[in-house]
Amino acid sequence: MIVVDVILNGLMLGGLYALFGLGLSLIFGVMKIANIAHGEFAIGGAFLAIAAAIFLGAPLWLAVIGALILSFVIGFGLQLVLVNRVMGDDPVPALLMTFGLSIIIQNLLVELFGADNRSLDIGPLATAGIDLGPVSIGVFPLILFVVAIALFAALHWMLHHTKAGRNIRATSDDPDMVGMMGMERAHIFAIVMGVSAALAALAGIMLAMRGSITPFSGAERLLIAFEVIVIGGLGSIWGSLLGGLALGLVHVIALRLDPSSGPLYGHLLLLAILLLRPEGLAGRKAQR
Amino acid sequence: MLKVDGLSASYGDYTAVFDARFEVAAGETLALIGANGAGKTSLLHAICGLCSAQGRITLDGADMHGLTAAKRAQLGVALSPEGRRMFASLSVQENLEIGANTGRTGPWTLSSVTKLFPILGEFADRPARLLSGGQQQMVAIGRALMANPKVLLLDEVSLGLAPVVAQEVMQALAKLRTESGIATILVEQDIRRAIAASDRFLCLLEGRVVLQGASKGADLDAIGRAYFGEGTAA
Ligand SMILES: Nc1ncnc2c1ncn2[C@@H]1O[C@H](COP(=O)(O)OP(=O)(O)OP(=O)(O)O)[C@@H](O)[C@H]1O
Ligand SMILES: [Mg+2]
Repeated sequence: MIVVDVILNGLMLGGLYALFGLGLSLIFGVMKIANIAHGEFAIGGAFLAIAAAIFLGAPLWLAVIGALILSFVIGFGLQLVLVNRVMGDDPVPALLMTFGLSIIIQNLLVELFGADNRSLDIGPLATAGIDLGPVSIGVFPLILFVVAIALFAALHWMLHHTKAGRNIRATSDDPDMVGMMGMERAHIFAIVMGVSAALAALAGIMLAMRGSITPFSGAERLLIAFEVIVIGGLGSIWGSLLGGLALGLVHVIALRLDPSSGPLYGHLLLLAILLLRPEGLAGRKAQR
Repeated sequence: MLKVDGLSASYGDYTAVFDARFEVAAGETLALIGANGAGKTSLLHAICGLCSAQGRITLDGADMHGLTAAKRAQLGVALSPEGRRMFASLSVQENLEIGANTGRTGPWTLSSVTKLFPILGEFADRPARLLSGGQQQMVAIGRALMANPKVLLLDEVSLGLAPVVAQEVMQALAKLRTESGIATILVEQDIRRAIAASDRFLCLLEGRVVLQGASKGADLDAIGRAYFGEGTAA
């Protein structure tokens, strides 16, 4: 029964990991750049919710929704006024720009909130569990898992069944031609960055509900998000889900068998994927 | 309708088109003729705002200088690009519909385009990348028409089409031009076909306009010489 327990916990942790990867995967798929500030978007979003809940005394649901909306606006705005300026055939300037943003956001968070551990209190939900005979699973991790899966499905639906989604896919296919379709590429990039920032913020908020964060937690989250999208297959939305689940499983199994290993086996999984299947679990070989 | 004056097109330090000057009236077709690398595509891209350009481009008197490609598309410039440039992950129907994103209305809708190219109706739900080259070319033309443009730029559209189909497309386009008064610029490798399908022609050599005139009764030998840069035709 320990096996079932470990697998369930691994999958549920994997759902959160996948959510960290989702926004990064979206950015990579559409703009072909890596957003180094992704981890800080996640942690910054969580701090926005913490600020609203703790310092302003807003109810939790309101704090979360407010933080998500604000994260969208911040992501949208940063892309529109800063990152779009350096987007071009060469991905390096945009990469450096997001690197700079990550440092600025982190310092801003330290300045505003100090370096202490912070978390979002979800009350009795944190310890509630469901007994399934020999194993029991936490209610909150389960909610987290369901929300993550639902967001993957929602994003997939949006991309394939709405006009905005169609325009985003077209931009991913051929960014130079969408202008001739009457669309401002810069605008679409900004929307995508906004959505990505909101997804990151939600993942960060869930992390802060599950445990605690500091302004320095972003780098580790970025690493996880990167591992998720590389394991799953770069730019593939469903690949990120697969990558997240795989990484979660490996982490939980490894910690059970070798409690002092930390994230080591996750890194080894990444290495194995890079060597054996560099296109990722869901990636297609040599696209285009 | 479209007026181009002193237009140069460049990529970084490299200038591909120098000081082009011409006009295309409503319902009129201008053929752009020139060897590989003469600057035909660059000239079209300069009109679309897809490469950096100096000089005046006006559409119905409105200056388009400095406008983004999206703004120009909304004003009525549509391009069927060289190499077709399908949106690979979109279905055929989505590729056509996205052309209508400019918000312009007119005779061209999904149903009128699929009437012109019936095969596109049949393959509506297929990913565009799975179509044959000629079929993709039809999508590219249809996508440009969906914008209900004032100015239609066709870059090597007969490339990859069977001669019979190319003929049909040319005839259909000719009919539509006279009916709806679209101004067309046509890039064609085949000089004879270009002249036959146009009202006026313009011959480019290494980025410079070396010959232009009426297509009717044009001297094909003179155009041939201008094309290869032999002698100084004027
Ligand atoms: N993106 C680009 N960057 C730099 N130079 C370019 C670019 N596109 C075209 N050129 C150069 O500009 C010149 C004109 O190219 P253009 O594509 O306009 O020619 P063309 O007349 O359309 O040729 P073809 O018949 O082969 O399509 C060429 O010398 C080409 O090398
Ligand atoms: Mg060309």
